[in-house]
Amino acid sequence: MKSNACRFGIAGEMIDFTIDAAVNLIKSTTNLLLLSFLKNLRVIFIFSLLSGFTAMAQNFTISGYVKDSRNGESAIGANVYVKELMKGASTNVYGFYSLTLPAGTYTLQCSYVGFQTFSKVIELNKNLSEQISLLPEETTLNEVEVVSEKTDQNVQSTQMSSVQLDVAQIKKLPAFMGEVDILKTIQLIPGVKSAGDGNTGFYVRGGGPDQNLILLDEATIYNASHLMGFFSIFNGDAIKNVNLIKGGMPSQYGGRLSSVLDVSMKEGNSQKFQVDGGIGIIASRLTIQGPIKKDKASFIISARRTYADVIAKPFMKHTDFAGTSYYFYDLNAKLNYQINDKNRLFLSAYFGRDIFKYNNDGFTAKIPWGNATACLRWNHLFNAKLFSNLSVVYSKYDFSFTAAQDNFELTLFSGIKDWNVKYDVNYFPNTRHNVKVGVNYIFHTFTPSNVSAKQGEVKFDIGRVIRLYSHDAAIYVSDDWEVTDRIKVNAGLRFGYFAQVGPFTRYKKNDFGKTIDTVVYAPGKKVADYNGLEPRLSFRYSLSRTLSLKASYTRNFQYIHLASISSVSLPTDVWMPCTELIKPQIGNQYAFGVFKNFNHDMFESSVEVYYKDMKNQIDYKEGAEPQDNVFDNPDNAFTYGKGWAYGAEFFLKKRTGKFTGWIGYTLSWTWRQFDAINYGKKYLAKYDRRHDASVVITYDHNKKWNFGLIWVYGTGNRGTLPSALFAYEGSVSNDYGLRNSYKFPDYHRLDLSVTYTPDREKQIEKKRARITRRYERRGKDMSNINLPKWWAKNYQSSWTLSIFNAYNRYNPYFIYFDTSGDFLSGTFTVKAKQVSLFPVLPTITWNFKF
Amino acid sequence: MRYFIYISVFTFLLFSACRKTINVKLPEYTEKLVVEASIETGQPATVLLSVTAPYFGNVDLSDPTKFFVKGAFVTVSDGSNTDTLKELFPAEGYIYLGSTVIGQVGKTYNLTIHYNGKSYSATTSIRSPIALDSIYAKYEKDSLTFCWGHLTDPAGLGDCYRWFAKRQGDQSFAAPFNSSFDDKFVDGKSFDFGYERPPQPGKQEEYDHEPDVSRGYYRVGDTVVVKFCTIGYNEYLFWRSYYANKASNGNPFAAPSNLQNTIQGDASIGAFCGYSPSFDTLVIKPKP
Repeated sequence: MKSNACRFGIAGEMIDFTIDAAVNLIKSTTNLLLLSFLKNLRVIFIFSLLSGFTAMAQNFTISGYVKDSRNGESAIGANVYVKELMKGASTNVYGFYSLTLPAGTYTLQCSYVGFQTFSKVIELNKNLSEQISLLPEETTLNEVEVVSEKTDQNVQSTQMSSVQLDVAQIKKLPAFMGEVDILKTIQLIPGVKSAGDGNTGFYVRGGGPDQNLILLDEATIYNASHLMGFFSIFNGDAIKNVNLIKGGMPSQYGGRLSSVLDVSMKEGNSQKFQVDGGIGIIASRLTIQGPIKKDKASFIISARRTYADVIAKPFMKHTDFAGTSYYFYDLNAKLNYQINDKNRLFLSAYFGRDIFKYNNDGFTAKIPWGNATACLRWNHLFNAKLFSNLSVVYSKYDFSFTAAQDNFELTLFSGIKDWNVKYDVNYFPNTRHNVKVGVNYIFHTFTPSNVSAKQGEVKFDIGRVIRLYSHDAAIYVSDDWEVTDRIKVNAGLRFGYFAQVGPFTRYKKNDFGKTIDTVVYAPGKKVADYNGLEPRLSFRYSLSRTLSLKASYTRNFQYIHLASISSVSLPTDVWMPCTELIKPQIGNQYAFGVFKNFNHDMFESSVEVYYKDMKNQIDYKEGAEPQDNVFDNPDNAFTYGKGWAYGAEFFLKKRTGKFTGWIGYTLSWTWRQFDAINYGKKYLAKYDRRHDASVVITYDHNKKWNFGLIWVYGTGNRGTLPSALFAYEGSVSNDYGLRNSYKFPDYHRLDLSVTYTPDREKQIEKKRARITRRYERRGKDMSNINLPKWWAKNYQSSWTLSIFNAYNRYNPYFIYFDTSGDFLSGTFTVKAKQVSLFPVLPTITWNFKF
Repeated sequence: MRYFIYISVFTFLLFSACRKTINVKLPEYTEKLVVEASIETGQPATVLLSVTAPYFGNVDLSDPTKFFVKGAFVTVSDGSNTDTLKELFPAEGYIYLGSTVIGQVGKTYNLTIHYNGKSYSATTSIRSPIALDSIYAKYEKDSLTFCWGHLTDPAGLGDCYRWFAKRQGDQSFAAPFNSSFDDKFVDGKSFDFGYERPPQPGKQEEYDHEPDVSRGYYRVGDTVVVKFCTIGYNEYLFWRSYYANKASNGNPFAAPSNLQNTIQGDASIGAFCGYSPSFDTLVIKPKP
């Protein structure tokens, strides 16, 4: 950290010194905690063995699934515990729990935000199976009554740096263009930064956009955005739960440095047939779900499509835009089938596409891109203590661009395709341990940008299609271990192996870009391979039931890279595997935090500090062109460097009551250093953000009305602007200053929303009264009043008004210099112009359900 | 119907960005020497020297001569003879012309500049010329056309080209946008390509004020002379970066890129480019 020595004089040195000290403190405190734990490991181990052993003689297991009583959806991360011992566990991603306890009589309880606490007395003298069905919490419930004597996850789990969001909660917040978007909500969490106005790209603790592992029902999503990032591919109607891990990833997650965003799709209502839908200003949605066989099998199908193209068509008929159209759509589908108590199958699929067409004056372009995923999962319960899951996953992302004029046609395409098999075993020997063991194998096929071009019959020599193949395997184990009542540890280890294999042709280049040698690898032959051990350690020390200290150390390897020519995430960005030139990204993260709940867990709060370093980062060399890989390898255009980031995050959340929401604040620094960029000097990353704050509030006034508010503030992005100009061949060119040496104006924005849900019962009452009056007038028999069929249905609708950018702030999207005149004739003038994307944008959405 | 109008107005609002003029505080600026040097078959070397100007400094941009370099010592040598270039207008500086060393195919030239106690150098060669097979007009509108060429690229990678054109009556040859290309995609092939009419050097403003319908086109009656040059690979990379630099201003999706200079020396920008031209003339006739 010596390199921080600084240009701002004494004050600057003081700041740097303080930062250095703080960073060292984070590292050393984390190390100290982990070390002291390791030192005592032997003692603790013997102790725990003994305690385990003595208990073993008379233990029984109670296990089962936790579900939402209304629709049979499994509850992820619900707390299941016995009141007498204050011992418990949380449900896994399939809603399964298992508790092994000494024989006895207990009160089994289960709590989950938004639901009434379940409570039942059980006699544990044999292994029991207990399916828990949760009843929804009444919204009118008095705030003080929401008290459960439960062990709180936020404070008591070993997992730190993570946030779980319920989609029902996200839906109450203002939505950009009326489209509920989980990625935009994720950006409101401390430590997560957005890429800019209306952009779904996100940057976690100074990491790049490619360092987020985005999983939709276990399938990797390589590009989670539609329309250049303004919308995410996640259709709010099909999503149940979102879990973001910013640090201290458990060992079952791997392959990315910075975060895991685990998105679970709804399973489909297993109780009754249900239709949800919505009509918004740019898109419509429809979801159908229901039981195939009650409590056995259910399905859900959800679709969304934008229709700006359809509406705009008649108006563009005689304009320059006549041939232009753009739309995107998403399809989500899931089937689940409970074969018996021990076996369950899930089949989920996603398909989404963006299609842009342009046709003008003989020039045509078609640009489709999108993701497709499919995942088959098999849950198998060996016994009440041993849960297993086998997943077979397919995921694909592809992009293509075809342009034609006269008889000239050019096609550019790129993509990535994965076949993925994963097998996990979850073992619950007793309430002190939760052991996970698993293996994972992925076969990647990368297609970095390829070009084909022809003019009439003449095909241009673009070389063969370049594809890169690789094996990606991992084995992992972890134990979430309650060592003593105060100390809990999650210790994990992951070993990864990655190999690029043929067919492959390496073009070796000299300094002038001339090919001096080519090496051809046969199919299946190893080109390059890498492996690494990734220790993961999280540590919790409870000071009281509502106060704990946590520390974590995570080492991550990432074997694939996203090469992005611009700093905005675009569909043209290219995924590249490790090759003999590209080494795996390696990240180390140290985090330390204090967690405290107040007022009977009504408030959650935390303060976390982190330090992260990232090795083997890639970027394009200055002046490189990304699509240029004819008789060349894309990695020849890369330069390699490192990054590091540190900061502090403050989070206060109100979980229950009429007012809910959170306030977050992050203070952070993010650095990059590349040999071939910025003359090898370190520079602040584009998304370096000194201050980042967000306020998120929802207010449930009553059943009819609820309100949402979002306010965000962030220090401006970093950018590179020209510092000087010069005339060359008579026209003006730019001399750019140091990389990212310009700070954009600060970003801030307020969004508001109101949802109005008419009271169905009152409407029915009114209708009934009207009919009654009519019957009276006509003197009909009053004993048999029938409402029209439609009114008898359990139909519900709501209106949401969202106002994006309520105080109409012109936030900078980019800055350019508007020049006119000739430099050499002395008539040259220049103005700096800021372009902002979105002014105040009110939108209205109508949602229905029956 | 009214509903649809509202929505379309709304959609338009969405995709039309808001622009405003702002004050920017730019990072510190270091003055750099700008070298625009060339040598062409049958001609002596030409070197233009200036320095960079700050975008928003306390400097008056309306007097470009302030940025011209006077009194530099500039030489070009072909290995056996050294030519000391002379200032065309000693009062202003900027333009330095050679006289004794004349460009020849196959020769390599070294440029040296001494200015303000610092030295700068660059090397270039004049390669064998490769002529176009033909040039022709392809009518976009009845009386307006771009100028097209048919080229057969010799087999073997590494041929690089630059296209210049002028009309009879124009002061000098000018290069259109992206005027330089190599044979990576077209090695050994016969193919067609076309360019628009470029603005004359220093006449960008005049060009911008031409009516939209005819800007960039040649008209019936124009006599167009095309100077098609072969250049070296490093010079091609320089011109490629030159156009990328122009395209990067105001483009949020492009990475800022500085020029890939062939000039060696501290704080300098520019290239020394050897041109091997071949000439073609085309008289634009009415559309048949």
